[in-house]
Amino acid sequence: MRLWHRFRSWWQATVQRSRLENEMDTELRFHLAAHAEELMRNGLPREEALRRARLEFGGMETAKEECREASRANLLETLIQDLRYGMRMMLRTPGFTATAVIVLALGIGANTAIFSVVNAVLLRPLPFDQPERLMQLWHTPPQKSFPGVPTFAVSPANFLDWRDQNRSFEGMSAYGFGRYTLTGSGHPEAIRMVAATVGLFSILHAQPLLGRGFLDGEDEPGHEHEVVLSYGLWRSYFAGNPEIVGKNIQLNGQAFAVVGVMRPEFDFPIFSDASSRAQMWKPLAWSDQERAIRGDHNYGVIGRLKDGVTLQQAQAELNAISNRLAQDYPDDNKGWGAIAVPLRENLVSDVRPALLILLGAVALVLLIACANVTNLMLSKALSRRKEMAVRAALGANRRRLLQQALAETLLLALAGGALGLIFAHYGVLLIVKFLAQRLPRSGEIALDGRVLAFTLGISLLTGFLAGLLPALRMAKADLNQALKQGLGRTAADSGGGRTRNVLVVSEVALSLMLLIGAGLLIRSLWVLHAVNPGFDPHGVVTLNVAIPTGKFTVPAQQIGYYGRVLDRVRSLPGVRSAGLTDSLPLSDDGSHQPLSVEGRPAAAMADLPEVEVRLISPGYMSAMHIPLLRGRDINDSDAGGRAGAVLISESMAKFLWPNEDPIGKRLTLYFFPELTRVVVGVVADVKISAMNEVQPQPTLYYPLAQMSAARGENWRSFGMNLAVRTKAAPLSVVPEITNAIRETDAEVPLLNIQTMDDSVSASLSPERFTMLLLGAFAGLALLLAAVGIYSVMSYSVSRRTNEIGIRVALGASRGNVLLLVVRQGLMLALIGSAIGIAGALMLSRVMRSQLYGVQPTDPVTFVTVAGLLMVVVLAASYIPARRAIRVDPIMALRYE
Amino acid sequence: MGKQMDLLQGTLDLLILKAVSLGPLHGYGILLRIGQISKDKLEIQQGSLYPALYRLEHQGWIASEWGESENKRKAKYYRLTVAGKRRLQAETEKWNRMADVIAGILHTRPEEI
Repeated sequence: MRLWHRFRSWWQATVQRSRLENEMDTELRFHLAAHAEELMRNGLPREEALRRARLEFGGMETAKEECREASRANLLETLIQDLRYGMRMMLRTPGFTATAVIVLALGIGANTAIFSVVNAVLLRPLPFDQPERLMQLWHTPPQKSFPGVPTFAVSPANFLDWRDQNRSFEGMSAYGFGRYTLTGSGHPEAIRMVAATVGLFSILHAQPLLGRGFLDGEDEPGHEHEVVLSYGLWRSYFAGNPEIVGKNIQLNGQAFAVVGVMRPEFDFPIFSDASSRAQMWKPLAWSDQERAIRGDHNYGVIGRLKDGVTLQQAQAELNAISNRLAQDYPDDNKGWGAIAVPLRENLVSDVRPALLILLGAVALVLLIACANVTNLMLSKALSRRKEMAVRAALGANRRRLLQQALAETLLLALAGGALGLIFAHYGVLLIVKFLAQRLPRSGEIALDGRVLAFTLGISLLTGFLAGLLPALRMAKADLNQALKQGLGRTAADSGGGRTRNVLVVSEVALSLMLLIGAGLLIRSLWVLHAVNPGFDPHGVVTLNVAIPTGKFTVPAQQIGYYGRVLDRVRSLPGVRSAGLTDSLPLSDDGSHQPLSVEGRPAAAMADLPEVEVRLISPGYMSAMHIPLLRGRDINDSDAGGRAGAVLISESMAKFLWPNEDPIGKRLTLYFFPELTRVVVGVVADVKISAMNEVQPQPTLYYPLAQMSAARGENWRSFGMNLAVRTKAAPLSVVPEITNAIRETDAEVPLLNIQTMDDSVSASLSPERFTMLLLGAFAGLALLLAAVGIYSVMSYSVSRRTNEIGIRVALGASRGNVLLLVVRQGLMLALIGSAIGIAGALMLSRVMRSQLYGVQPTDPVTFVTVAGLLMVVVLAASYIPARRAIRVDPIMALRYE
Repeated sequence: MGKQMDLLQGTLDLLILKAVSLGPLHGYGILLRIGQISKDKLEIQQGSLYPALYRLEHQGWIASEWGESENKRKAKYYRLTVAGKRRLQAETEKWNRMADVIAGILHTRPEEI
């Protein structure tokens, strides 16, 4: 009822505007007439009565304005008026407007760009039905053998027990990765295949576009020759032909029936690297032997929580099952737990800290931009005091003045937001380009509705924040004072001066904090670049040589094939040396295995030492320039049927034989117990997974010729990697190399051709990118702070012109005057720096996870950055100071 | 005619509601009615009357209607709405309670403390 009244009065007031004005006129005229009549009855003449009536009524226009205000008639009207007026003011001072809009656009654009990344990566739900109930399941390995490793892949037997014994999950599916060669039409195509136990599609609630998913029983051996195609592969390789469903295709020389095609948005598992998207899915069929494997952990597991079951309940159940399994199978399972991690958490937990740091950084940049615009507006407010006073004198009330002043900054901020969107568009393109390899879901980064809403929101907020202080100051305009004093330049401005000093001090403090953050990352990257990876990456090119399709299924055939490839490549004129390994340094896709040392008491698998295990060919160490520290390298005589020979890394020597000579020690790999192997040499440690690896990882290398299980059946082994040290520029020799390999087998897919230098650089790309972005934001902040200092100093110099004139007249030297001005700027910078350093000391801790070899409180960084800031501040106050020197005392005094 | 008093903050609304509760009135009539019942002890700024009327109407306490004045002129008449009646009651009670409390405080003699 009341609401209706309000709405009606607002409606009448706003829409039926002329009616309101008419009625108001009529009503007030009636009032005056009635009053005048009464006065006339008391004997006053008509003219005098009318005059008295008007006088006693008071300000007619003010009353009308208050009436309009009271019935909210002004809401829309005055807003439009104010916006129109604001627009005119903006156009009248294009320099001021451009400065403010660009400053705001930089701040808002940076926020929009980073928010669009955060939105796509951290906020938007995963592209599955009820994604919050999807859980990634992992083993938690015993910390004694795997210090610092939080999660581990899952073994088949443990997965089957989890799946069959739990009551918390709607379903669970295990999956693994493989690379298949698709042949039949033209060139062979390497296919990224995911093999999963049958529940996968139903757990994900994913419906195929064509055909069907997998049926129960299709994960039995012998029934698994079926594939579901990804939409992308279906379109690109099969030209979107719907007839393909039901047909056979050739994978690794075997026939597979296509049973379905997934929808375009379907992607599982989701990788950080979009170029790793799965292209086909097939049933994962374990033999009875494989189903019994408990100690070899090779599979990912996905599960969907039942409705009403919480993560805590599911976790408690998993713990109970794990405890039971550890008791029942202590050999394999002692110390192995299970953990459920929400799928999104699993995907983004690595990148979240960096993104949040960047988000914080851009928020600081925006604050600085706000402070800058506030500063600009304050000086404008000063020059418009008279205008405001006149408005107040003519009956504008305080609220109206406030509203008008705010409308101007809001307009500026909206213009800044619009320009900021353009900046953000290019910023996002840049981010995606640099980070596509490392950021999960980077393909989804876009300026969508939510981002636009965010931009609008922060634009309005920015306008409000930046405009509030100047607006309050404008609206406060004291009539008498302002009209008396004319345009500014009075002692009464000192309050404004203090506000501006506070603003500049905060700008300096905030930008110092950002600079320190960026400085720490730069130092960290510097350290990382100087890190010795343990090999010499310059002049080496690597490529992955797959196992030719289904031709070589026993170890001897594969060993022979790779031997031929290596001989062929080594004979090329451009090649200095070459070698093979199953897993290159910095790639983190190698195998981690338990081993037993001869002469030490037998132990359960869970209690055996674990090391990285690599398969290599003779010549690998010399091609990579990995130094041999003791003993000998492996060579062609370490072949099948001979005594087993292994190389170990320095850290492995320290790990297993801290006070002994490791050469000649004998050991057995747990998964390949048929051969006892002898340590023949010790090589230097290399960075196994990334340049920022802190602890060297104990690593064992054994010759390809002594491998006892054929490669290609294990999901993780995608052939072998060839490392070639070339005579000329590495990439220029690539055609020569690929032709040579194709001569050994025309159908073999060659993948991941890149130089080792690129691998090193790619390994640092997330750090470099965070550093570049944070550095850019910090630079922006520094620039804005410099502009702030400059404007405050110019303002202060112009205000003190006549004071300086007097000083000069009284004999102050140019040096004195310079010092006077610069000292003030320096003072502000010192206070700002002190606050900034205190803030940085508190905040830099959040960066610890992003730093390598640098403490968050690194004194070198703090001192250097503060010094840099001082130099910039000095420069920014020097220009106004020079103007002060040129003050002509006579002019200055006459001006007064 | 005694000395005129300044209006306390917020009391104008209450006076207007009371004035129109006795029957519909136009703006000038409200002014006269308040003068009459206060025996001219309260002075109301004429300029502030109309914004108050518009505000009360916007809030739905009073409603307006065009009619004809005693002098056959077109005039806008205000009357109390149902909501306004409740409001007047509540405000009156509040005012009385307040007055009692203040009076009690002001009448306190030193020996009573």
